[in-house]
Amino acid sequence: MFVLRQWWNRYALKTGVVVVAVASAWFMRITEGAALYEAYHWITRPIQPDLNREQVLENSYILELQQRIVELENQNRSLREFEDYVDTLNEPGIRARVIGHAADHWWQHLILNRGSRQGVKVGHIVTAPGGVVGRVVAVSSNTSKVLLITDATSRVGAKVSRSRVLGVVRGQSNDRLVMEFFEKDPDVKVGDVIVTSSYSRLFPRELPIGRVEFIDITKSPAPEAMIQLSAPSSIIEWAVISPFDPMESVDDPKVSNPEDNHKENP
Amino acid sequence: MTPLISPGKPPFYQQSWFLNTLVTAGSVLLCLLLLPGRIPGIELLGVAPHWLLIWVVAWSVKRTVWEGAIAGLVLGLLQDAMTAPQPTHTLSLIVAGVLTARLQKHRYLQEDIVSIALIVFAMAVIAETVLALQISFDQLLSDGSLYPSLPQVWLYHQRVALSSAILSSLWAPALYYPLNRWWDHRRASGYAQDS
Repeated sequence: MFVLRQWWNRYALKTGVVVVAVASAWFMRITEGAALYEAYHWITRPIQPDLNREQVLENSYILELQQRIVELENQNRSLREFEDYVDTLNEPGIRARVIGHAADHWWQHLILNRGSRQGVKVGHIVTAPGGVVGRVVAVSSNTSKVLLITDATSRVGAKVSRSRVLGVVRGQSNDRLVMEFFEKDPDVKVGDVIVTSSYSRLFPRELPIGRVEFIDITKSPAPEAMIQLSAPSSIIEWAVISPFDPMESVDDPKVSNPEDNHKENP
Repeated sequence: MTPLISPGKPPFYQQSWFLNTLVTAGSVLLCLLLLPGRIPGIELLGVAPHWLLIWVVAWSVKRTVWEGAIAGLVLGLLQDAMTAPQPTHTLSLIVAGVLTARLQKHRYLQEDIVSIALIVFAMAVIAETVLALQISFDQLLSDGSLYPSLPQVWLYHQRVALSSAILSSLWAPALYYPLNRWWDHRRASGYAQDS
């Protein structure tokens, strides 16, 4: 008892400090660092470029021009998807600035300056001038954290817009994605536009992802294609957050793929 | 130099424990807020310095193994909060804290900025390796693992570990020097108070 009391007299303060430090770090961990991102938001506020109405309109105009260029390049069957793309972008979305990136070297995240106060929820889809960028995985009152489709753990159901060949796109932690096809001999060419497929549960269908840059048809067990993103995530400065409810199950149960159960990110 | 604690009863904000807590917690907060930013000029291949690792090394250099481990745990939990809890950063930062404290630098090495930079370089490589090992184990042990294949993980590890180590070791003195000056100063005044 005496030993215990002596120990307590000596180390009470230290123990208290350790308990407080660990407990507050654990609290941060439970709340997914919301307080930290709020602080980051307020501190970087002066250097965040103001996204006023004029700028928004200007950005929309640039976006429209970019889409027209894509349209001219594309004069083929992907025109239909392209119109869908315009439609999806014209849906009421929340425009947000990119104020930060992942807080370590292994994850591919973006931090946006719009959060639950502006109506952002977990699961919402984030698009940028190049097409789909990722989905919101955490929100605080004024910031949201986006898991990019370039993250190594990300899986998106996708298809070739020209030939409707299905596959799964996964990230590689750089500006290129890999698309694995389900078929042995897919109808795909260099330059084809890749869009999200209707089998994607976490993303709405027919959002553009990128273009085929290189095809490895001999790859085992399934052929693969390298996909070049239209806009590298490192240079994206602003994005649009669109509301989307992740589906619980795929809409068409008639065509089932063995890869179906692990084709989406968690 | 006047000691921080005078014989009278100063208000709590002038007492040394309060100032020390403020400096310590404030520097951690500063490191945390530097993490998501990619300030032009201090990133290399899209990789920024590992500020939390630098802090853990600066903390552990003149402290015991246990203190290093606890600092690693707390900062690891904080980094988990800002990214994702799996793979956990607590393990890599605890390893870095424990190894740095085991080095007992003040006994064998002269105190200078170069040796700190070297320690940070080594610890950055070790910390990234611990993370890569966690991912590898997950890949090997669970069937539905979403992580890429092992060759890809380790290729990526090479790139990240090297850039992170170079950048962190270059920026280590910027954090180590002021923090260590403060802790040294506090230690000195603490001893003066005891005697």
